[in-house]
Amino acid sequence: MSLPERLKRIDANKLEVPKDYKPGMRTNGVIYVDTVLEKELESGSVEQVANVATLPGIVGASMAMPDIHTGYGFPIGGVAAFDIKEGVISPGGVGYDINCGVRLLRSNLKRETLVPRLKELADALYNEIPSGVGSKGKIRLGPDEEEKLLLKGAQWAVEKGLGDVSDLEKIESGGCLDGADPSIISQRAYERGRAQQGTLGSGNHFLEVQYVDEIYDEKTANALGLFKDQITVMIHTGSRGFGHQVCTDFLEVMSRAVQKYNIDLPDRELACAPFNSPEAQDYLAAMKAAANYAWGNRQCLMHWTREIFMSVFGMPPAELGMTLIYDVAHNIAKVEEHIVNGKKRKLVVHRKGSTRAFPPGHPELPAVYRNLGQPVLIPGDMGRASFVLIGTEKAMSETFGSTCHGAGRIMSRHQALRQAKGRAIWREMEDKGIIVRAAGRGTLAEEMSEAYKDISNVVDVVHNAGISKKVARLRPMGVVKG
Amino acid sequence: MQYEVLDISGDAGIKAYGKTCEEAFANAGMGMYSLITDIGNINERQEIVIEVKSDSIEGLLVAFLNDLIFRFDTYGFIGKRMEIIAFTHQPPAFMKANIYGEKFDIDRHERRLLVKAATYHNIRVEKINDKWEIEVIFDI
Repeated sequence: MSLPERLKRIDANKLEVPKDYKPGMRTNGVIYVDTVLEKELESGSVEQVANVATLPGIVGASMAMPDIHTGYGFPIGGVAAFDIKEGVISPGGVGYDINCGVRLLRSNLKRETLVPRLKELADALYNEIPSGVGSKGKIRLGPDEEEKLLLKGAQWAVEKGLGDVSDLEKIESGGCLDGADPSIISQRAYERGRAQQGTLGSGNHFLEVQYVDEIYDEKTANALGLFKDQITVMIHTGSRGFGHQVCTDFLEVMSRAVQKYNIDLPDRELACAPFNSPEAQDYLAAMKAAANYAWGNRQCLMHWTREIFMSVFGMPPAELGMTLIYDVAHNIAKVEEHIVNGKKRKLVVHRKGSTRAFPPGHPELPAVYRNLGQPVLIPGDMGRASFVLIGTEKAMSETFGSTCHGAGRIMSRHQALRQAKGRAIWREMEDKGIIVRAAGRGTLAEEMSEAYKDISNVVDVVHNAGISKKVARLRPMGVVKG
Repeated sequence: MQYEVLDISGDAGIKAYGKTCEEAFANAGMGMYSLITDIGNINERQEIVIEVKSDSIEGLLVAFLNDLIFRFDTYGFIGKRMEIIAFTHQPPAFMKANIYGEKFDIDRHERRLLVKAATYHNIRVEKINDKWEIEVIFDI
């Protein structure tokens, strides 16, 4: 792919989409890519960065992280902040999977202890963690119970005995956004969410047993409780059908709002409303409910994972030491305070396929990480690696405290299936020491490493740009997919 | 041909054809079902009736497909055949359809993609010469 000529290189890690790239842009675009990832840049995603720059009340640049690829309305990997008085909120800037995110658990286990039991463990996880198309969860939510979940998030699960109170402080926003309003949620979203709490989903969602294979920052790794050859577990999922329904419902509401408030849009999927309008406030309250649904979901899955480890290894919790390191949301909009041109301003920051990366000392960080900075969890594809990074001051001043979220696809599903034809992907993985279990017939081919950008390249860009710093690299050992 | 799968990075789309707009709609619905499973293995054991409306033809298509997604994701219903019994494509657009199928069963039915939603991304509902063509992309 050749780079659109009108992009300008700002420095080794950034490209500029100039304000005159297309009519109506209110600001410029900035895409975090180096000369390696620049080759994988799609023209459609550059267009989307420019489109976001046309939205009313945008503050700073329309940004995209190095895992950028074409999404709906906003690009995946997109970051955009809007003034809460003059700006908008857009469901497209959050995505269909509201609060899709990642959590990481540590353990006291070492790689060599796990290897002989890996198959048994992968089978147990696959059998016990509901995943894939048409799977049924173990939880059925009555209407009252679902409302409680929407208000309390991860805390709801803890109150049900799924996990420990101490888990909550190690979740972004404590695993619960205030201001969720269950009365705004449609009947359809309630129905769709009833049986999907505690399910993994499908596509790129996963539950992965990993080991720490490289430490870049010994001091931070220590503080997080990470050490070389240690077993970790990463869970990547979101608000499931509940969140998808909330997004679907509100795209309709917003497309009417666009007419009502006379907002001129280059793409219907950018549908939005002025932040202070009733439509926007309703969306925000519904989005928060969906975010809480997702935090409950990851909490349930983590609890069952711990139980499975306890049963496979016959160890009590204290010996296993499976405590939460952190849980991040990478599809979300949040009202935050940022310094813009020396002035403190309240902004609604949309991160669609982007992770918060708050620096040490930030008041929103939990006490345990206040002096360290926010842990940033970046999942890669199932065959290569995932990363732990830490938030920085530079992210705060450059990207509204944001960084990348994952690898980003480069191959369509069909291309991946074609490339995988005649190959046994599970066997190739097993030869590398990775046991995979997947529910869907085409899942392994569609999710193979080659279908994604190399996560190491993505992470190198955000590290070199200084918007988060590498702490450790994790290698997959056992992968459960939908 | 009634429909084909569109190959796009990251997600999946359907291109559907029809002699009439409603026939193209029905084919788009069946095309979407084919992303979820092999519809050849679905039986006609259950009938559902759906009604959707919208202020545009594209809006009607998105609402229709999202209705099918909702019924699959919530109740497991997946169709094998569709009859459109009412269809107005002048705004306000409206349609009513009978869908025949059954409850999805992971032990009997192939599990393909989990379709989250139908989107407006590059959506197209057009009459070309004497035929109707639809293109729609799904979030997977």
